[in-house]
Amino acid sequence: MICLLCFLPIAMYLHLMAGQIEISYASFFDSFWNYDANNTTHVLVREFRIPRLAMALFAGAGLSLSGMLMQTLFKNPLAGPYVLGINSGASLLIALSLMTSIQFFQSNFGLIGTALIGAFAAGLLMMAVAQRLKSQISLLLVGLMFGSFTSAIVSILESFAGAESLKSYTMWSMGSLQQVEFGQLGFISLIFLVGIAASFLLVKPLNMLVIGEKSAALLGLPIKSMRMFVLLLTALFAGLITAFCGPIAFVGIAIPNLTRILFQTSNHRYLIIGNCFIGAIFLLLTDAFIQVLEGHISIPLNAITSIIGAPFVVFLLMRKLR
Amino acid sequence: MIQLQELRIGYQCELLSSEHLLLEAGKVYALVGRNGIGKSTLIQTMAGLQKQLAGDITINGQFVSRLNAQEIAETISLVDTRFEGVEYLKVKDYLALGRAPYTDLFGRLGTKDWHIVESVATDLSITHLLEKFTDEISDGERQLCAVARAFVQETPVILLDEPTAFLDYINRKKLLALLKLLSAEKNKCIVLSTHDLDLCLDHSIPFLLAAHGEIRLHTSLSKEEIIKAMS
Repeated sequence: MICLLCFLPIAMYLHLMAGQIEISYASFFDSFWNYDANNTTHVLVREFRIPRLAMALFAGAGLSLSGMLMQTLFKNPLAGPYVLGINSGASLLIALSLMTSIQFFQSNFGLIGTALIGAFAAGLLMMAVAQRLKSQISLLLVGLMFGSFTSAIVSILESFAGAESLKSYTMWSMGSLQQVEFGQLGFISLIFLVGIAASFLLVKPLNMLVIGEKSAALLGLPIKSMRMFVLLLTALFAGLITAFCGPIAFVGIAIPNLTRILFQTSNHRYLIIGNCFIGAIFLLLTDAFIQVLEGHISIPLNAITSIIGAPFVVFLLMRKLR
Repeated sequence: MIQLQELRIGYQCELLSSEHLLLEAGKVYALVGRNGIGKSTLIQTMAGLQKQLAGDITINGQFVSRLNAQEIAETISLVDTRFEGVEYLKVKDYLALGRAPYTDLFGRLGTKDWHIVESVATDLSITHLLEKFTDEISDGERQLCAVARAFVQETPVILLDEPTAFLDYINRKKLLALLKLLSAEKNKCIVLSTHDLDLCLDHSIPFLLAAHGEIRLHTSLSKEEIIKAMS
């Protein structure tokens, strides 16, 4: 635990320094306290480095928490926002609103609202399906089918879409941590802090859900409202991150499992903290790696997380289910 | 204590019915009957998980169907057919979940709560398991832990669905003796479904016999009479 506390600042430092242009400490701090809009280094720090750092932190922590919540709720270590199609739900609605004339929301934050609704709807759908399934693998397959289905619809939309809207959707779907502006950070951090605080309020229900919904209900847990609450929180994290960063695969399924293995506990008081830290560190290091390569080639974030995450999930399958 | 009044239970169609039955506090009752007769359904119905078709179940004069989730948790504890264990969940934390109806928003246990956990573990002689993970102990040990969790919950009624299924003969005997002892000591009403006729007879535990669509209470039947009544 203390190890992690030390490791996070190191990962943050590496991430900040991984860009192509070197930044001195002085100009880094100046860009906060003595911001000069004409100083390119200041602009670089404020408009690129800091937002990217913050998004790596939030996306890593948020996706991991969202995965942890789903794994406990579905009582399935293979659940996660990506494999169960929560991202797909958000992507589908975003594709609809970017590439057709249907606009769900008109405001600046329209994309976020759209993604949240898509994510929550997909979560509800998976919940309904999960009630009818016995095997843990079946749920995974249904999630993958849902993913294929939505991506098929998106492909059809793409073939009808105009060049301009197609471009904006493709850019979004690559998955990137640098689409956020400095001014939006306050709003995003606020939502995240509220989300993390809400997770801590769920420690007791989550610990009860570990032994199954029926047993939890007999210990006095109001199952139906709790299900909705957990699902909303999952959709909040996954939907928000999908809206801002595009789809990021496998973090949500891999990190919660890694956290459980490292911490050797099923107590959510520690799992929440662990997931926040390990998820943030993982995404910071991954994105730092991408930044280092950026001068030569540009690799989408989604590709790197999949390359690391997919084999890890296979490892989990072999370890647990055989 | 528990009263079943003109009860009819089942899902779409009726499985079992009873006339007026009174189960007293401080006693253990053995629910016996053939496979598929509706023993589990009766237990689920008594725990408020399943609605009865007609009639009433009351505990200390209160209708089970009208209790809310918190009241149920403080009145009835259920040991279900099988607890499969959870990865990285320690036995002591599993037992501690039995205190959930009484703990604060964050589920923290006080010293008094931990004391209850420890004394129940001592009663059931599972103190050596407390620090182990629930998925790394044997089926029988897990079964004992599930029973222990029900005792930790400190409810006046404990329902057990085949608690002896995974236990060896010695542990079965021990568990029944213990249930009998604790029910008298702590004035609890305990109902367990079981197929262990001999052990129940040895401990002269009264039978709730489910057969031919009816539940009847028998206190002094021989093994032959029970088998005859069941078939």
